[in-house]
Amino acid sequence: MEEDAIETTVEEHNMLVPIDEYLAAGIHIGTQQKTSSMKDYIYRVRTDGLYVLDVQATDLRIKQAAKFLARYDPSNILVISARQYGQRPASMFAKSVRAKAIVGRFIPNTLTNPMFSEYLEPDVLMVTDPNGDGQAVNEAIDVGIPVVALCDTNNLTSNVDLVIPTNNKGRKALTLIYWLLAREVLRHRNEEDRFRYTVSDFEMEF
Amino acid sequence: MTEETEKCISCGVTLAGKGWVRFPCPECGTIISRCARCRKQSNSYTCKRCGFTGP
Repeated sequence: MEEDAIETTVEEHNMLVPIDEYLAAGIHIGTQQKTSSMKDYIYRVRTDGLYVLDVQATDLRIKQAAKFLARYDPSNILVISARQYGQRPASMFAKSVRAKAIVGRFIPNTLTNPMFSEYLEPDVLMVTDPNGDGQAVNEAIDVGIPVVALCDTNNLTSNVDLVIPTNNKGRKALTLIYWLLAREVLRHRNEEDRFRYTVSDFEMEF
Repeated sequence: MTEETEKCISCGVTLAGKGWVRFPCPECGTIISRCARCRKQSNSYTCKRCGFTGP
C-alpha cells in the first residue's frame, strides 16, 4: 500500500502540474463518441458513456509538443483557434512565445495565396480542433507544413502529425493546455524567466 | 549518379507531389518524412533513432 503511494508521488513529481490541477481543469473529460485514431489515448469509459482520456499521455504529449515547437523559429509558428473558448488562450500563447495567432474565422487562402494581403508562410501549424480548424489544416497540407493538434476523443487525426490528447472544448482545459505549452516552450528555449503569466491570464472571459 | 531520394517513414514510398511533410522528431530532432497517404490515413510512424511513435 505504501509502495503504491510512493510510486504515485514519484509519477506526480514528473508531471508538469499536479494531477489534481489537470483533473480540476477537466483535461481528461472526453466526449460520448470515440474514434479509432484516439483509442490509444482513452483511459476508460464512464457509466454514462463518456470517454475519459489518459492524463499521463496528455502530460507526456505536452512535453513532447513543447520540445517540438521550441525547435522552430517562434515567428514561424502559427496558432489557430476558431473555437471561442480557445481564442484567448491561443492569443496569449502566441504572445508569450512570440508566435502568430489567427483566432476566430480563418480566412481561406491565408496560407496558399501570395497575393492575399494577410498571406502567411509559417513552418508549423498548431490547431485547437482539427475538425473546427479544418480549413487551416487543409491549407497546411497544400503547403506541406507539419500540423500539431489538440484532439479530443471524437476527433479524427487525419493529416495531423502530432496529437495532444485533451479536452479541446472546455474553457479551463484549453486555458491550462496553452499555458503549459507556453511555459514549456519557453523553458526549452531557456527563456523561462520571460514567462510571468498565471493560468488565469490565459483564461477566456465571459 | 544515384541520387538519395526521400522516403516515407511509415510505408517507404518515395515522396513526390504535394501533401507530404518533413519535420523534426519531437523527442530527438531526427528528420521524419511522411507521405500524403499516411498522413491522411493517420498511419503511425516511429522514429528510427529514439523510438518515438506518432501521431
